[in-house]
Amino acid sequence: MIVRKGRPPCLPWGRAMEFKQKTLSNGLVLIGEVNPPAKSAAVGYFVRTGARDETLDINGVSHFLEHMLFKGTERLNSFQVNEAFDSRGAQFNAFTSEEQTVFYASVLPEYLVDITALWAELMRPALREDDFTVEKNVIKEEIAMYQDTPTFDVVDRCRSLHFATHPCGYSVLGTNESVDALTAEQMREYFARRYAPNNIIVACAGSFDWNRFCAVVEAASGQWRAQEVGRPLSHFEGTRQKVRADKANLKREHICLMHAGVSAQDPRRFAASLLSMIVGDDYGSRFYWELVDKALAEEATMHYGPMDGTGLFYSYLRCGTPNAGRVVAIVGGIFRDLVAHGITGEELTKAKNKVLSALVLKNELPMGRLGDLGSNWMYLGEYRSIEADVEAIKALTVDDVNHIIQEIHLDSYTQYSLGPATGI
Amino acid sequence: MEQRIDKCVLPNGMVVLGEPMPEVESVAFDFMLPGGAACMPPGYAGAANVISEWIFRGAGSRDSRQLGDALDGLGLQRSTSIGSSHIYVGAALESSNLAPALALYGDIILNPHLSDEQFEPARQLIIEELQSLDDEPRQRIMIELRKRFYPDPLGRSNMGELEDLQSLTACKTRELAKAYLDVQQIILAVAGKYDFEAVCRQIESLFGPHHPKPLSAIKIGARGPKYTHIPHEGAQVHIGVMTPTARFADEAYYDARLAVSVLSGGMSSRLFTEVREKRGLCYAIGAKYHSLREAAGIACYAGTSPDKAQETYDVVLAEFHRLAKGIGEEEMARAKIGLKSSVILQSESSSSRAGAIGSDYYMLGRVRMLDEVKQKIEETSVESVLGFLRSRPFEDFTVVTIGPKEIRVE
Repeated sequence: MIVRKGRPPCLPWGRAMEFKQKTLSNGLVLIGEVNPPAKSAAVGYFVRTGARDETLDINGVSHFLEHMLFKGTERLNSFQVNEAFDSRGAQFNAFTSEEQTVFYASVLPEYLVDITALWAELMRPALREDDFTVEKNVIKEEIAMYQDTPTFDVVDRCRSLHFATHPCGYSVLGTNESVDALTAEQMREYFARRYAPNNIIVACAGSFDWNRFCAVVEAASGQWRAQEVGRPLSHFEGTRQKVRADKANLKREHICLMHAGVSAQDPRRFAASLLSMIVGDDYGSRFYWELVDKALAEEATMHYGPMDGTGLFYSYLRCGTPNAGRVVAIVGGIFRDLVAHGITGEELTKAKNKVLSALVLKNELPMGRLGDLGSNWMYLGEYRSIEADVEAIKALTVDDVNHIIQEIHLDSYTQYSLGPATGI
Repeated sequence: MEQRIDKCVLPNGMVVLGEPMPEVESVAFDFMLPGGAACMPPGYAGAANVISEWIFRGAGSRDSRQLGDALDGLGLQRSTSIGSSHIYVGAALESSNLAPALALYGDIILNPHLSDEQFEPARQLIIEELQSLDDEPRQRIMIELRKRFYPDPLGRSNMGELEDLQSLTACKTRELAKAYLDVQQIILAVAGKYDFEAVCRQIESLFGPHHPKPLSAIKIGARGPKYTHIPHEGAQVHIGVMTPTARFADEAYYDARLAVSVLSGGMSSRLFTEVREKRGLCYAIGAKYHSLREAAGIACYAGTSPDKAQETYDVVLAEFHRLAKGIGEEEMARAKIGLKSSVILQSESSSSRAGAIGSDYYMLGRVRMLDEVKQKIEETSVESVLGFLRSRPFEDFTVVTIGPKEIRVE
């Protein structure tokens, strides 16, 4: 989007999008953004738990538990659960990260109530021993699949190196060993601690009836009991170590760089996202012109990952092994140049246009809106309209981005390289 | 609101299609350029990829850097891809920037510099991308599968072939670009918020009169081997299986789509239930419908540990064979609602609508309305799907495995 002076951009949320919120007495938070013209609704259960809330002896339990929720309740077996979703045409899934486990579905408005009730029921799973045994195999296949996906593997390894003993470095999937050793009893104990109503947000976006949505959630979850839940928060600067490992079956060099970043709660997160766009967007960024345009690397991107109380910039570079040394040197040069001279006004304008345009496109879909709705409440405990985000981005200056560059010491980072045995 | 499709055939032969979406502020457009992977002459696999990269490296009055900056300045979310029949170049953006964006794309398609200086990095980048496929067996297997399943050159890799790319010259690629970026055969699809009159006027003035260039027809050759194993010392054996089915334009298309939904539509579908839920053999398992204008297939992927690869393949094949033996009414109802729901959910996105209307027009010569699609899905039945499956039993499978261990195939 071109940001023009004197004329506010015409945005879809200029029409009435109504925010609703309710907290049950057990602490369960319900939030919704009602957009009647939408053709669908998206619902999500955001559980504030992930790999960073584990200990090493149960590493992988959050993700394994996410799978086990689909295995059913005392009333429903896994086949009935799958049939219940599919018979309403729901597009549904879940994901686990270092700090969230999110269950979500996109549905036609007429099925929203049924699907919300189904998720609510699944939030109190049976965690049967025989399901646990079969699913363990599926989890180990998932671990194997990601071992064959170096793009993912190198980021995971770099995260461990960057965070060292800080729990944000724990693998989401866990290892074959930790998953093998995990018992259903340990999972039940973890579930009881983490899936408390006061650790869950239920969010809905799109075309739906707020009162009916609340009634369904309350009926299913009103009896859940609140308990003490928490998470130690501390910022972590990163180890800034550099490691290279080889793997016989690889043909390319996969390099991940990590910088400590500002947290999800930090107002400077918008400036951080512009910085990652300027340094490493797919097209038109510094990485693009210096590496991809010149065909030295086929991929060179940087992303900003805001987290609870801390944050991360991660860059991913992929190139032929003969180019790897040069690619890393050029990246170092880009970082040093930014530290010495900062970004330009033109770079700022282009990055703003790209970020704002992506925001428009993402938020046109209820499913796209759901993510921001849930995350904002989880991290900030507040609703943020899209207009508020647009204004925050438009207000940013060159200095705001340059301050982030200085703050995070852009020329100092953790680096993990994974490549063939003959590499750098 | 009633769905509406705009259509205009310009005097130069170019087709412009549009679908207004009153609920959005974005617009997405897709130029379908008639120079896909299969269109390139033998010995030039990958030339389409180089062309799609090279045309962005300077066009009209702008050099490569100025062009990139101009595109970024409009906040475009760019997309470029290579299909069997077309090179797709397009973008999604905030609607008030549509006219300047189309002007830039007009230059990119009609007046690319195609300079010698920019050829080498463009070609090298495509070579690097192709080589990186060796490290992504999940992505590679579907490319290898389509290559062997479809008669050559229809299933040709959309990443190109190393040997052809290495011998490609600027001169020959320029010649191909000029021949295949043929105005008369370009389809432009636009969806979202736009003024159709204005778009047509602008495209007509940008693309001007037509100078026909004869294109040689594709010569259809043979299909590849039935089973190929590609050794790879990874953690899993990646299994790809593909079998023929009704094409997009065929009468039986909806029966074929419903059959694939029963097999692999949602998590209650047969493959997910039998392979993952009951046996825990795989994390990733699924089958998808895939159609070109000339032929179509059902493509299945499964990734599993070497010791479970044979069993996984056997269970997958058994599920293909079991399908014609019977389908339950509830199973069929789930497949129908699943397909209808996905059609409606996708219709909320301007990018996916632009892609869909362009593809419909190329495949059918017209754009299907959503109501028609919903009605056709509704009209299928257990009987019609079983009738279709029995008239075209699954007998012909193309199989590719990538991994540390081979399997035995039928």
